[in-house]
Amino acid sequence: MSSLLLSPAVKVDGESGSFLSGSYIHIRKNVLEAGLRRSPFYRTNGVWLKHLGQSATSRRMSVSARIKKGKKHEYPWPENIDPNSESGLQHLSHFKPLTEKPKPVTLAFEKPLIELERKILDVRKVANETGLDFTDQISRLESKYQQAVKDLYTQLTPIQRVQIARHPNRPTFLDHVLNITDKWVELHGDRAGYDDPAIVTGIGSIDGKSYMFIGHQKGRNTKENIKRNFGMPTPHGYRKALRMMRYADHHGFPIITFIDTPGAFADLKSEELGQGEAIAFNLREMFGLKVPIVTVVIGEGGSGGALAIGCANKLFMLENAVFYVASPEACAAILWKTAQAAPKAAEKLKITATELCKLKIADGIIPEPLGGAHADPTWTSQQIKFAVMKAMEELAELDKDSLLSQRHSKFRVLGGFTEGEPVEPEKKRNMKEEASISLVTGDIEMDIENLKKAAEESNGKSPTIKKLSKKDIIKKLSQDVEKEMANAFISMGLVEKLETLKMELSKSPDQIRNPVLKEKAERLAQEFKEKLYRPGSFMGLKQKLQMLSEVNKPKEQTEKEVKLKKEVNEKLQEKLKEIEVFRKAREQLGKGQLLDQDQIKEVEKAKDELKQMLKSLDLEVVGFGKKLPTAPPGLEVAIKKADEVVKKEIAKAVEKAGLRSKIEELKSEIANGSDEEKIEKLEEQIREEIAAVIDFDELKKEVQSTVELPAPQETVYAASTSN
Amino acid sequence: MYKKYGHLWVQCENCYGLYYKQFFKSQMHICDLCGYHLKMSSSDRIELSIDPGTWDPMDEDMVSIDPIEFHSEEEPYRNRIDSYQRKTGLTEAVQTGIGQLKGIPVAIGVMDFQFMGGSMGSVVGEKMTRLIEYATNRSLPVIIVCASGGARMQEGSLSLMQMAKISSALYNYQSDKKLFYVSILTSPTTGGVTASFGMLGDIIIAEPKAYIAFAGKRVIEQTLNTIVPEGSQASEYLFDKGLFDPIVPRNLLKVVLGELFQLHGFLPLNPS
Repeated sequence: MSSLLLSPAVKVDGESGSFLSGSYIHIRKNVLEAGLRRSPFYRTNGVWLKHLGQSATSRRMSVSARIKKGKKHEYPWPENIDPNSESGLQHLSHFKPLTEKPKPVTLAFEKPLIELERKILDVRKVANETGLDFTDQISRLESKYQQAVKDLYTQLTPIQRVQIARHPNRPTFLDHVLNITDKWVELHGDRAGYDDPAIVTGIGSIDGKSYMFIGHQKGRNTKENIKRNFGMPTPHGYRKALRMMRYADHHGFPIITFIDTPGAFADLKSEELGQGEAIAFNLREMFGLKVPIVTVVIGEGGSGGALAIGCANKLFMLENAVFYVASPEACAAILWKTAQAAPKAAEKLKITATELCKLKIADGIIPEPLGGAHADPTWTSQQIKFAVMKAMEELAELDKDSLLSQRHSKFRVLGGFTEGEPVEPEKKRNMKEEASISLVTGDIEMDIENLKKAAEESNGKSPTIKKLSKKDIIKKLSQDVEKEMANAFISMGLVEKLETLKMELSKSPDQIRNPVLKEKAERLAQEFKEKLYRPGSFMGLKQKLQMLSEVNKPKEQTEKEVKLKKEVNEKLQEKLKEIEVFRKAREQLGKGQLLDQDQIKEVEKAKDELKQMLKSLDLEVVGFGKKLPTAPPGLEVAIKKADEVVKKEIAKAVEKAGLRSKIEELKSEIANGSDEEKIEKLEEQIREEIAAVIDFDELKKEVQSTVELPAPQETVYAASTSN
Repeated sequence: MYKKYGHLWVQCENCYGLYYKQFFKSQMHICDLCGYHLKMSSSDRIELSIDPGTWDPMDEDMVSIDPIEFHSEEEPYRNRIDSYQRKTGLTEAVQTGIGQLKGIPVAIGVMDFQFMGGSMGSVVGEKMTRLIEYATNRSLPVIIVCASGGARMQEGSLSLMQMAKISSALYNYQSDKKLFYVSILTSPTTGGVTASFGMLGDIIIAEPKAYIAFAGKRVIEQTLNTIVPEGSQASEYLFDKGLFDPIVPRNLLKVVLGELFQLHGFLPLNPS
């Protein structure tokens, strides 16, 4: 009878499981108050009624009797302690080595190894009994066994790794910690109602330095597992972990966390207590801790429940550890509707340590002995200690702000997506379209609109007004850009550097030549550019800068053109003869006459000379244009037709050669304003490929047939390479 | 039930009343007979919350690639995204952008349940992070409307890391710069979203009778071997347990949001 009331896992209707109300006397009082004596759902109904039938006093007596027989609180310290002994912390831990050695459990895929081992044992027994010499056979079998072990454990499939990670004899968090640390004390409770057994926290010292240890704890046998709730924490556990992390931040201990959980505990009570909120809070707060955090996944890492203590500067995984967003069984059940597809799911989800290293989620793999960590726990613990210490050394050099930003950027870059490629409108038809001029540049654009309208209305005086308005706009735009840049500097936190630089510039007499100042200015410009081009920031400023550069481009362009024209004209003066030839040929063509062979040859020679001359000016012949200065009317139409045909052919060739993507790339590069070499290279490639695909003879024939004229004379288009 | 007419009529899940889709939009997808709030697409919700003529979307062309090359038997992940894009007319499960709410400029992100069940993948994470970073730089308040079935399994652990990414951006936004973030939980909001930005708002608003949970109903039933009683993951029940601030019905939402902003000191741009 008493044993029934001692059972802690009482599931009473309307009340929670045991983890909130520990003492069974508490249950009893509530039970009486809730009037559950009449409840049909309580299994031990009959026993209760018998008790309750008795008088009140006898009931109270039985209560007191139970207090004595009740749960004896076992203390972890031994009976006789010497108060002057060196270390007292070791006596406080409830975690003692197991009294009975755990049963060796073999996983399904390890069966062939077991057979080999049994064979070796048999041979040895026979050798002992009969006394015959079987040593060579034994050694052969042993080497075969070693080879088989190595083969098996170096090529494990993901689902096998999952099975090893869930192995019942795998060393747990406290096993590792007690192996690594010199001194260890466990700290308990979330100071808000409960001490979750699934998360263990404490302070330990390694090589004299103290660290805060936090981790999920699974049990080593079934009884412990039930007590630890299989390593599945409730919101109380996460709040306990948060309290400890704040404590470590407060005192400056670096934090080492160990992850080994199938996931957060999924039951109604946890939902009511705010399981999601506890995890979210942990996630957010971990990014604000100014101490180094290192995480090691020693078993399985189950989704949000694992990540709540896993937002670290460095994440390591044991070789056979797994980290998943949904367990392979759950994933298989959802995607393939059967839990038997778990091996396939495990492989596709990419949950093993090597895959996660490739995805840059994990920063390193800690090796395990052949056979899994349970084969040699002490060696595994030493490996973990080695890796964690090395990481801590690296992180100790960073100051607090760089710790925070390193943690932030570690997670900022995770994710696979593309952007910039335009999406078919079919796929966007239900998205709310842009409805307005963007708020930032509203003022400038409105002005431009108004000015345009005003210019259109006043027809007669339009040219002068237009010019003035353009200049005004440019001035206003540059003023706005300056203001925005100042704001941007402020928000980037670079104002102080800017001020000091300005002061230094004004102090020194020969500002431009001072190399130190130049360097500083360059570095500042670099920083500014970096921060400016971070995605999503300073949209307004970027837009304005773009507009400014666009507006200035034609001005620069015209200046350059004027200079170039002057140069070319000068050089042309020297080549009068060729020009004469050209002029004569042009006249003849203009009259509609054909050129004869000699004249064509002369024209060719003249062309060559011109090319040479242009080369001397560092110019290059880029393209030929079918252009006639004074063409008879019929010719223009024909030329237009020829142009269209050529364009169509080029489009076809582009489709064939699959150059669409390259052209898009070129367009985007030009829009981004990247350096010219790239643009040129791309242009070259595209041109080459088009040239390779187009069949020139056919093209010529087609053109001729549409135009019905002999090929007209070509003039040379000289384009500057320094464009 | 009425599968043939599914594109014209929609049926309330609570009282089975039928509504013609074209007119339902003007009722804000709220059932007349019983007051049940049905699911609403993201574009409709943007129209409902943002003043007309002020919507400025961000990152419309971000599309997921297949980061872990997940090919299930039926169809590769890429084709699945493609078919959902064509079917729903959305590029991803979230739309983000800047708009004005009663004259106050806000940064708003709206998740859509129609696209793959609102699952959170790398694109959703990246868009949300950029929205929050933009709002951090410009000191705008942020509103996020959550409607999700959880993390996207086809992107593996990367979708898990999106939770951490968004929470990190929110740390900078809330704890460093101390700006204002409102999260609105609609039906259904489960899994990874509840465990990251959904529950991190300064003010958490829930819609009436919304299904809000961390672990789904089936998972709880499997763990406990009992049947989950009706309504134990509905917003009213969780409100009693102290998880949200107000429960606000949809027709009052815009007004309430405007007043909340005014209480926190945000003023409209041009007082009208």
